[in-house]
Amino acid sequence: MTTVGRVSPPLLAMRGIGKSFPGVRALNGVDLTVHAGEVVALLGENGAGKSTLMNILAGVHGDYEGTIECQGEPVAIHSPRDAARHGIAMIHQELNLVPELSVAENVFLGREPTTARGTVRRKEMEARTAELLAGLGLDVPPRRAVKHCRIAEQQLIEVAKALSLDVRLLVMDEPTSALADAEVRRLHAVIRGLTARGVGIVYISHRLEELEEIADSVTVLRDGTCTGRRAMARTSRAELVRLMVGRPLDELYPRRPEQAPSTPPRLTVRGLTVTPPDGSPAVHGVDLTVAPGEIVGIAGLMGAGRSEVLQAVFGQYGTAARGEFTLDGRRYVPRSPGHAIRSGLALVAEDRKAQSLVLGNTVRFNSSLAALRRFATPWRTVRRRRETTAVREQMTALAVRTPGLENSVGLLSGGNQQKVVLAKCLLTRPGVLLVDEPTRGIDIGAKAQIHALMDRLAAQGTAILAVSSELPELIGMCDRILVLCEGRLTGEFHRDPARGPVADQEAILTAAMARHAVAAAPAAGPAGAPRAHGAGTGAAPRPPSGTASDAASDTASDATSGTASDAAPDTDSHELHPKEPRS
Amino acid sequence: MTSVLKAAPDTSGAAAPGRLRRLLPLFGSLQSYIGLVLIFAVGVATKGDIFLDQTNLTNAIGNFASRGILAVGVTLVIITAGIDLSVGSLMGFASMAAAMMLFHHDMPVWQIVPLCMLIGAAFGVVNGVGTTWLRIQSFVMTLAMLSIARGLDRQLSDNASVGTTVAGSDGKLTPNSEAFQSLGTPGHNVLVGILGPDGIYFPVLAFFVVCVVFHLVLSRSRFGRHIYAVGGNPTAARLSGINVTFVVIAVFTLSGMLAGFAGPIDAAYSASADPMAGNGYELDAIAAAVIGGASLAGGKGTIAGTFVGSLILTLLDNVLGLNAVSDNWQLVIKGSIVVFAVVLQRPDLLGGLRRRLTHRTRTDRSTEEK
Repeated sequence: MTTVGRVSPPLLAMRGIGKSFPGVRALNGVDLTVHAGEVVALLGENGAGKSTLMNILAGVHGDYEGTIECQGEPVAIHSPRDAARHGIAMIHQELNLVPELSVAENVFLGREPTTARGTVRRKEMEARTAELLAGLGLDVPPRRAVKHCRIAEQQLIEVAKALSLDVRLLVMDEPTSALADAEVRRLHAVIRGLTARGVGIVYISHRLEELEEIADSVTVLRDGTCTGRRAMARTSRAELVRLMVGRPLDELYPRRPEQAPSTPPRLTVRGLTVTPPDGSPAVHGVDLTVAPGEIVGIAGLMGAGRSEVLQAVFGQYGTAARGEFTLDGRRYVPRSPGHAIRSGLALVAEDRKAQSLVLGNTVRFNSSLAALRRFATPWRTVRRRRETTAVREQMTALAVRTPGLENSVGLLSGGNQQKVVLAKCLLTRPGVLLVDEPTRGIDIGAKAQIHALMDRLAAQGTAILAVSSELPELIGMCDRILVLCEGRLTGEFHRDPARGPVADQEAILTAAMARHAVAAAPAAGPAGAPRAHGAGTGAAPRPPSGTASDAASDTASDATSGTASDAAPDTDSHELHPKEPRS
Repeated sequence: MTSVLKAAPDTSGAAAPGRLRRLLPLFGSLQSYIGLVLIFAVGVATKGDIFLDQTNLTNAIGNFASRGILAVGVTLVIITAGIDLSVGSLMGFASMAAAMMLFHHDMPVWQIVPLCMLIGAAFGVVNGVGTTWLRIQSFVMTLAMLSIARGLDRQLSDNASVGTTVAGSDGKLTPNSEAFQSLGTPGHNVLVGILGPDGIYFPVLAFFVVCVVFHLVLSRSRFGRHIYAVGGNPTAARLSGINVTFVVIAVFTLSGMLAGFAGPIDAAYSASADPMAGNGYELDAIAAAVIGGASLAGGKGTIAGTFVGSLILTLLDNVLGLNAVSDNWQLVIKGSIVVFAVVLQRPDLLGGLRRRLTHRTRTDRSTEEK
């Protein structure tokens, strides 16, 4: 039945796999075949059963129905150790590395080469790690602590760990969800190297464009059953979506054509400079404006400072974020997230599990958490009925699939969790919505819904500033796209060709990789950046300048010091008209 | 199963199970009630006549009341994913302070109790500031405070007990001492006349009131929501606009304040303040919270649960005491009950254990076949 014809028995054949959890039939009669040197894409919406199937393969779920054959031999996989014995390794979406340990210690965790006396042979371990890493084209010292490695590097360290096990079948669950496009290409190069050696790969991803590039065949799951197996090359994207969703999905990006914002900007940022104390990438002199009804995107590679711009505006760095900000023409000083929310900003953070949700608590608790003030009595208690009504309204508007408001949010699928995060933000009635990777790791149906929601919010006059690693998403959804590289603006693109350079993937990537020019110049100044934005503050990242101490003062009244704001960004046509500050 | 949530016009039908579902967790886990009933049954079966006597039950609760009050404060801290080991020492310090205020300065009880609460709160603020601004883990910070407060207590008292039954020139208790003793001595009941001819034994009243007040704070107030959010996910809490530092300092302060409140009660109960009073009470308090379903990982726990947990430990003490079980075995049994209670509250754990056992046998069989 395989679409890719081969003679030798397949590396892996799973037949009629079924699995039930209490109250849920997660998998029913699913088949999956992987040949040596083949990349099989496993596709399906969240909750379709992909993870369950892979967890069975990795020995996480010991009791399953059906048979598994490795190279024609029937095998039983009841524990992760069984899986390892058959050469099966899995790289989970949430990486399983110990941040405090070194790269080498992580690669050989639990299998450290030891001397007769039981001590670890460090030298040998590090040498073998260096060898493995070199084979993957990764230049990281084996002694570096994993917490100091970037996500993309950690991903490859996981691959190295799998390779050290003499792996024949590698399962990669959303390996690129945290990677920027350039890093994805590198990972794909590594995968091609592995398949050339005869390793079989099961590749789970929501990004169809990526699958087209890397996968040989695709198996689609829906609601725990297999809805189709196809050769990747002969299958259209529309067909895959149909197999996955069960209905044609005509519009993933429902954004209407760009309309010239007629109103003054809601949010302006001038010369935003911040060096996060936690070692995140710094931002140097970024200028931007967002008008009501506008969706502005921020593109860039990992570590370009995209999220940091949002976080600085949201007050996460407090007054360490320097620059001049206005909200609806009035001076705004980022102080704390609480202050930002009260000022009418809302942030959909990058990592919904780590940053946005209290997973053990209920849908209602999470949705209303940021907006409790709205439901408070003078006694500072919460009006339960109003809260429930408001939350229920949002759940209906966002079509959240949950058994009820009192169910734990941790049990929802990724897409529904993300909708709860959005509901939490929307309940604060924000004028400016900051979204960081709004559709990371969620299925295509939920993705389309979230895009439609963003479009609807913009139509209602919300100003949206969006960060995403997926260029198609930015190009599909944004009126303007700003490109960041190493904390500086290196490009601005438009949806409307009449208003400036048009956004396309190549142009954005070129701007995003302008850092090669920066890297060539001495790190001291911004000279290497193609365009120096803004006046004054952006030029000197480190020493505190006069403007910075301005920004540090909390009083909103001395907003007139922001007169330098007439230096509007070059391609940005509308002028700024700062209103008189109130009070 | 899961369905898109509808606008729900059928509120009448949805309200009843909804309310029930809301109320059930409010009273802690079902398992702890079973435990309570079991212990009660054992008490009735073995020493029914004495056990069920009202004096016995009030005394049992009175004996545990100060620890129960500590448990309420500790529960708040545990929900924020912290721990407060200092409450026993803080209570000891407060009881010594209370006794000295009475003995040396003849202060009236209505001054002593608020002052003790202030003293406890001050220690609590230090705990909170240490864990937030100085970023010391709460276990370490409050362990240090346990030692510090005990040391100060012993230094203050010069290692000698201070009595709270102060006799006047006529040989009777002075009015202030009389009033103070009503905080904790059986027979010195308060609200006599208002709550019937006998009034109520103060430690019992205090414990109940503290539970009700903090139950309302946790379940109804914004601050309560913030406490759960900080314990469940501090980053999410901060990004939701919650001042996490404030919340953490506040719960340690409240815990200290409650320890300060328990001090005079304990002193009155034992009719004297011992320099080692409250030693080890923090463990009973934590045990009560944990039996009641609080998780040291944070984000979980209720005052109702802690209340039931306290009752379980109270009755356990009492039943074992009545049956003349030795102190040593009492400790062993108490510890075992904590473990038992925690395991019972984790049905997933039990299920996992069962699964693992069945797998083990299946894997063994499959390897045998080869």
